[in-house]
Amino acid sequence: MATLQLKNIKKIYEGGVEAVHSFNLDIADKEFIVLVGPSGCGKSTTLRMIAGLEEISEGELYIGDKLVNEVEPKDRDIAMVFQSYALYPYMTVYENMSFALKLRHLPKDEIDQRVRWAAEVLDITKYLDRKPKALSGGQRQRVAIGRAIVREPKVFLMDEPLSNLDAKLRNQMRAEIIKLRKKVNTTFIYVTHDQTEAMTLGDRIVIMKDGWIMQIGTPQEVFDHPANIFVAGFIGMPQMNFFDGELAKNGEKYQLTVNGCPVEIGESLQQALKEKDVPSKKVIVGCRPEHIELSSADNALKATVDVSEMMGSEIHLHLNCEGKDIVIRVPSTKLSAEHRGGFEFGTDLKFAFPADLIHLFDPETENNLI
Amino acid sequence: MRTRKNKGAYYVVSLIILIILALLFLFPLYWIVTGAFKTGAEINSVTPVWWPTEWVTNNFEKLFSKRSAPLFEIGSLTGPVVPGAIRWLVNTVFMAVVAMVLTCITASMAGYALAKKRFTGRHILFTLIVCAMALPKQVILIPLIREMSTLGLYDKIWAVIFPTVGWPFGVFLMKQFSEGVPGEILEAARIDGASEARTFSSIVVPIIKPGIGALAIFTFINSWNDYFMQLIMLSSSSKLTISLGIATMQAENSTDFGIIMAGAALAALPIIIVFLIFQKYFTQGITMGAVKG
Amino acid sequence: MKQTNKPSMSRVLRRRETFSAYLFLLPSLIFFIGFVIIPMVLCLYTSFFDSKLNANTPDVFVGFANYVELWRDPVFKKALVNTLVIVVVSVPTVAAFSLWVASAIYKMKDWMLSAFRCIFYLPVVTGSVAVTVVWKWMYNNYYGIFNYVLKGVGAIDNNINWLGNPSTALWCIIIILFTTSVGQPIVLYVSALGNVDASLVEAANVDGANNLQSFWKVKWPSIMPTTLYIIVITTINSFQCFALIQLLTSGGPNNATQTVMYYIYYTAFKLYRFGYGNAMGIILAIFIAVLSAFQFWLAKEK
Repeated sequence: MATLQLKNIKKIYEGGVEAVHSFNLDIADKEFIVLVGPSGCGKSTTLRMIAGLEEISEGELYIGDKLVNEVEPKDRDIAMVFQSYALYPYMTVYENMSFALKLRHLPKDEIDQRVRWAAEVLDITKYLDRKPKALSGGQRQRVAIGRAIVREPKVFLMDEPLSNLDAKLRNQMRAEIIKLRKKVNTTFIYVTHDQTEAMTLGDRIVIMKDGWIMQIGTPQEVFDHPANIFVAGFIGMPQMNFFDGELAKNGEKYQLTVNGCPVEIGESLQQALKEKDVPSKKVIVGCRPEHIELSSADNALKATVDVSEMMGSEIHLHLNCEGKDIVIRVPSTKLSAEHRGGFEFGTDLKFAFPADLIHLFDPETENNLI
Repeated sequence: MRTRKNKGAYYVVSLIILIILALLFLFPLYWIVTGAFKTGAEINSVTPVWWPTEWVTNNFEKLFSKRSAPLFEIGSLTGPVVPGAIRWLVNTVFMAVVAMVLTCITASMAGYALAKKRFTGRHILFTLIVCAMALPKQVILIPLIREMSTLGLYDKIWAVIFPTVGWPFGVFLMKQFSEGVPGEILEAARIDGASEARTFSSIVVPIIKPGIGALAIFTFINSWNDYFMQLIMLSSSSKLTISLGIATMQAENSTDFGIIMAGAALAALPIIIVFLIFQKYFTQGITMGAVKG
Repeated sequence: MKQTNKPSMSRVLRRRETFSAYLFLLPSLIFFIGFVIIPMVLCLYTSFFDSKLNANTPDVFVGFANYVELWRDPVFKKALVNTLVIVVVSVPTVAAFSLWVASAIYKMKDWMLSAFRCIFYLPVVTGSVAVTVVWKWMYNNYYGIFNYVLKGVGAIDNNINWLGNPSTALWCIIIILFTTSVGQPIVLYVSALGNVDASLVEAANVDGANNLQSFWKVKWPSIMPTTLYIIVITTINSFQCFALIQLLTSGGPNNATQTVMYYIYYTAFKLYRFGYGNAMGIILAIFIAVLSAFQFWLAKEK
């Protein structure tokens, strides 16, 4: 059983700088949690506090049922993969992987068995006698993971493990990690700044900014219902577009206008607004690039094309909408033959929001209105 | 074209100057070695003899003529009686090797702690070390002699060894080298469950080995040549080092340059050979030991 | 401050870290404190006493009397002036010479570079005693090679007693000191010049700078820290010049080569005036500290 419980965990550095504020999170057994956020958001610090490499300034950390605030890293039953791999340079791959087991005085044949199993899983058996220097980045990464899994830890910590790899290898290793997870079946806590990694790997994602948790949820939840503007902008590529809008309560119905054009609000959103009893006010309207649709309706919003990027199956259009830069993604199948290759600079277009796929945020608190 | 030609000319001229300078720098050594093998007449000739007409060994024979000291004394155990100069060499080698080993062990441990551990008093200690390095070493030797007398170490080789080990340059050098040990590797070791001692011996030491090599050779040469300290701490003739022995000899008969050159050759050649063998490490040590702006 | 009754985690771990750090430091600290720090403190302490080297005669507290006497001691003043002459002459020459040698050799093929580096380092390795005795022979009035060569080329008519003549003795010392001082700076400069960012030099050359300009505008600023370090160590070395004097001239003739370091030795070990010697040591230490600090300050200003 390896549940984790982080209760009001804080990191306060000497001099009073607070890097992590009141972090609360319950992690279920065998869950894959991803901490994601821009650099300096406190995600690595949190991970290092879980590992025991940084002191927890305030709060309580439980692994299983045990309070581990003052437990040495080696006694927390965790393993960690570092960004730089942190392989021991003067040991062979085999020695690297068996080091921790040797220190635990496991019988020799069991060590051998575990190392060979891990090497098999990671497909590095033929490198066991090499030194890390003689390996490529991807191979080193596998060794680093191998070193962690031979321990059979309760909790598996990974600190930006893929960020030193090139893009192609990163995609490949990402898939490997998903496969690995099925094989080792333990609790994972994974830190990254890359939202794609977060979305593809995590059972739940913790999005952080400036030491605060912005949102915790499944990839689906954070994507469909971002808690605030930051999350909305952070998750999804290209970024969500934001517009200034005007929300007016008109009897039973809410009406929304953007740049003077009326925007339809879907039924479920109407319902939610009503339940929360949101008053008439200025709002920020968010809509993802892939949800915005080109339109020919009279009351649609107007924009001109700045850049048109042909991506193959779709086109990314960078538009100028009354001084605001927005991006929309249009599948080329939805375009007439004449426009399948893109649009000329300066072309005038009109676009509309789908009623159910808009997000409304409070301009002051930046939180989702719903 | 023109600039290239000028550059070539400049290169040739500076190479010639360099070669002349190199010969001048080599000359004293050449003079020691050839002088050691010249006859008395050639040494005291008003017209210098550039190359010995006949290589004679009687300067060395004179140097080794008096068997005056046992080869070694360990407690009550004494070796066969040998010429004083041989005993001096034994003393010097012993001193330099022990100082080297002790310095390497203590300095690499301390340097690692200073570079990689965050502990109370770290800044004060480091400042103290840098300040101590900048102060003239000789100044402390005078009070040191009393301390050594109190400890009963005066006129013992340990009186020379201990202050050499205490000199903080080694700690500073090893701190520079230990800075290069990646923090994540140490953290990985901590998570793997390695004790402090194990982390140091199996992970840190292999990484800083070149630094230890540099420090070893540096300490060996410096301790071999630290004349002032030897002069102050050692007095009885069987305790002398080779440098000190030669200096004493030349104070006693300052005109017999033959025997003095033989002694000088005996003092200088072993250490020069050591230097030439480990030159690479040595150069690295000097470079790393420099305080960067 | 709010106090909680359970110890904060950070304290516990921090204490553990501090404890293990000091275990690593312990062996080194024993030697460092025992044979460097304690003597330094003793040096300061004893400088206020009339203290004999012999431990049987008790020390008598004299306050600043030793320092006052120093102020009036003409030999000390002479020694200080000589030491400063040595420093003022040797530091710039050593720095300039080694910079020139280093910039001439640092681009050479590896074996040539290490050959030259080795040769210029040899006098340091040879050891001060061996170096000094051979120079003593070379400077010798009758059999010395200097008189022979200089007479041969017609620079002098009669043999000169180089070390016995007050007007030449100090220069003889400075020359030997020079040959034993350039080795380390050359090594440092070679590595510093090798580390100068090549793209900066190329950029300067593309901008049309000639070699001299690119040296002053690009290389010189980047090797400034090295220069500073070299100046400091050469200063300290020059201040500590001892073996040469003790073996060649014993401070003579007529104190012409008396230096602070030798005078300290002489006072403590020939006159057995321990406290007085230590007072000199303190003054020397202060001198070096102030000078080093000044050099660092100068470099920082730049």
